[in-house]
Order: sequence, then structure tokens, then C-alpha cells
Amino acid sequence: MQRRLLLAAALAALPWTSLRADARADRASAFIEASGKALVAVIDSDAPLPEKRAKVADILRDAVDVRGVGQFVLGRYWRTASQDERAEFLRLYEETLVRNLSARFGELRGVTFAVTRAQPRGEDGVIVSTTVDRPGQPTVALDWLVSEAAGRPQIVDLVAEGTSLRITQRSEYSSVIQRGGGRLDALLDALRRQLAQLEAREHAAN
Amino acid sequence: MRQTSLRLIALLAAGLAAGCALPPPESDPEARAEYFERNDPLEPLNRVTHTFNEALDVMFLRPAAEMYRLFIPQPVRAGIGNVVDNLLLPRTAAYQLLQGKPEKAGEAVARFAVNSTVGILGIFDFASDIGLEPQFEDAGQTLGVWAGTTNGGPYLVLPVLGPSNLRDAVGRGVDFFADPWNHVGQGDTVEALRVSRFVLQTLDTREELIEPIDALRRDSLDYYAAIRSVYRQQREREIRDETRPRRRRFDWSGEPPQ
Repeated sequence: MQRRLLLAAALAALPWTSLRADARADRASAFIEASGKALVAVIDSDAPLPEKRAKVADILRDAVDVRGVGQFVLGRYWRTASQDERAEFLRLYEETLVRNLSARFGELRGVTFAVTRAQPRGEDGVIVSTTVDRPGQPTVALDWLVSEAAGRPQIVDLVAEGTSLRITQRSEYSSVIQRGGGRLDALLDALRRQLAQLEAREHAAN
Repeated sequence: MRQTSLRLIALLAAGLAAGCALPPPESDPEARAEYFERNDPLEPLNRVTHTFNEALDVMFLRPAAEMYRLFIPQPVRAGIGNVVDNLLLPRTAAYQLLQGKPEKAGEAVARFAVNSTVGILGIFDFASDIGLEPQFEDAGQTLGVWAGTTNGGPYLVLPVLGPSNLRDAVGRGVDFFADPWNHVGQGDTVEALRVSRFVLQTLDTREELIEPIDALRRDSLDYYAAIRSVYRQQREREIRDETRPRRRRFDWSGEPPQ
């Protein structure tokens, strides 16, 4: 008797959980659609470069879980870092995300994208697949891992043709720290150098 | 005589040991976890080989790929790419059988049959039109499926050939002997065809990777570590058959490459 009840309860819960997952997937794809549209609008606008960059920074700050991703890519070094080091790392990391886009404003002009599907991936969140087209360039498949850990959808990873950005970066960053004698400063310096390069490219391209 | 060879062996062993990174002590579990996640005990040696390969690529391979892109019209390159891909299908079908995927092997055989005939020796990919999408298997992937893990053992950078690991390095050797095209025919013409196939396959692959590799080189903080991570992720995806089937398009517009 009790087993039957349990079974009935499980069966009743089944459609409900899948419904909930569907709602989560819908929210995630709507979120990617909206954030992407906002980004494309800024990229295609004719505003001066600093203004465009500031707008992109606002969108990314809102759409990306910078702290979560930063913590992931820093791995075991996050725990041993001081408050100041963490803050400085997150600042630099966010800046590289912004500058990586702003240095490409020219080549990204006219970019279009389409959300192709969204499927839940367990605890991690929802994978939202998009195809991105630039004029005269082959189509690129980009998957966005969207998590609701913070209570609202936020991007926690970008997967380009099967390569996860945060996994690659974590492996790179830990290598830089290790080769710098286990000091986080080695990574911070490398990020600063990268930012200087991106800045130079931004000036050259615009 | 015996002593010199003993000395040589001792020297080699010392050299190998120097190029070896030993695991961190038990007292530091996080560092140990990182060490095993990286799975690159030969890193110092691998980095040297990597630098050598980079030099080869920058001086010879990348320029050759650029010339290939510049001098060979796009439709011809697409056709060449299709032909070399098509030649990989018999091997792919055999590996699919060995991996216990007979339906996929059937599809590979059908694809090969259609494109080799209707598609004129594989130049045109009509099989994709009827739902027989491109697929690719090698011995490394097969060993991965058999082992039931995507972990291919310690990371290796092979001279000239580039990123690999223990599993895929063995796989490469098997691939060479398992490819039926390496066993049919003889004589100078066949030998010339074999060499052309190898050269074209290399150029085709490198040409497609010009932009992605440039971007990775430019944007990474540690290019060696980035390549190592990307290689592992891509192989994992190939073993799990999650690669997106990609079709080459023929661009008849005649516009110069960008």
C-alpha cells in the first residue's frame, strides 16, 4: 500500500520536475536572447568608443557571474588569496572580459546570433546554444552555461565548439601561478600585461 | 664498449629524470589534485618539444597553409578537403565496428559509397544531403571507448606531430597500419598519391586552424597550458561522439580570402 502511494507520488512529481526544468531552460534562453540583443545594439551603435566600452561593461557585469567564474578559474589559489588579492584579481578579470570585446568592436560590427536550443545540465544550470554569424565569416557555435545560483540567470561559462573557456583558463592561470613560483602576483602581472596589449589593439583598431 | 653503453643509459635516465615533475607530497592534497588533473609529468620536456614545434609551425607549416589558402581557389580547397576526409571513412567504419557501433559503421560505409561515386571520388559531399553526416574515428578514440575513460594518460608533445597523450600516441601508430590505403597498390604512382594525400591533409587541417590558433596564441597567458587543455577537451568530445558534423561549403563567388 505504502509502496503504491510512493510510486503514485513519484509519478505525480515527474511531470512537475520536468516542467520546472523547462521553465528554467526558457528563462535561460530568454536571458541569453536579451543580453545578446543588448550587446549587439551597443556593438552596432555609432557612439564614441569609451561610451560603448562602458555600456558593454555594464551589460557584462550584469549578465556574467564574474565572482563565480573568477573563483572557478582561480581554483585552489582563491582560498589562499587575501581579500585585497581577490578584489584585484576580480577587477582585472572583469576588465579582460570587457576589453576582449571592445578590442574587437570593429570586426564584430554587423554580428547576428540565434538561440538554437536550451537544455538543462543538472546542477550546473542550463546550456543555451547559439549560432553566431559575422559578415563574410563562417558560422560559429557558442554555448552558454547559465546558472541561477544567485537567484537570477547569469552566465558562468562559454563553450566554443566544445572548448570550455573557464576550464581552459583555469588550467592556464594555474600554470602561470605555478611557473611564477606559486605567487598569485605572477598571474596578476600577466593579466595586467594582457590588458595593456588589448588596450593597444583597441586603439589600433578604432 | 659495455661501459660506454651503460654510461649512455645512465645519462639518458638522468636526463629523463631532470625532465620529470614529481608529484607534490601527500601533505599538500590540493597541489596533488592539481598535479593529477594537469596529468603532465613530462612537462619540462614537453615544453621544450612544444617550443621546437612552434618554431617549425611559424617558419614552415603556417606559411605553407597561408600559401595554400592564397593560391588554391576556395572551391578547389573544399573539394580537396572532401576527398581527404572521404579517404578516412573505411578506417572510421572499422573503428566504429570495434567500438560496437555497427549502425554508425553502416552509415560510414554508405557515406563512402555515395560520395566516392556520385560525389566523384569524394570531391562533392552529396551524402550529407541524404542525412549521412560526416564522422571521424581513430585508434585513440577507440582505445578511449574500450578503456571506458576519456583520460588518455600523461600528456605528451610529440616532435613535429604536436599535442598527444599516451593513448593517442599509441593510436597514431595503430592508425598508420590500420589504414587500408597504406596497403593497396604499389609503384611510384601509388607512392606519389600517398605522399600527396599526406601533404594535402596536413595543409587542409592547418589552413582551417589559421585563425583559431592565431587567436589562441595571441589571447592566452600561457599558450602551452592552453593548448594542453584544449587538446584534452577536444579529444574528450571526439571520444563521446559529441562533435558537431560540419559540412564544407563551396564558395563560387571568387572573392579573395580575408
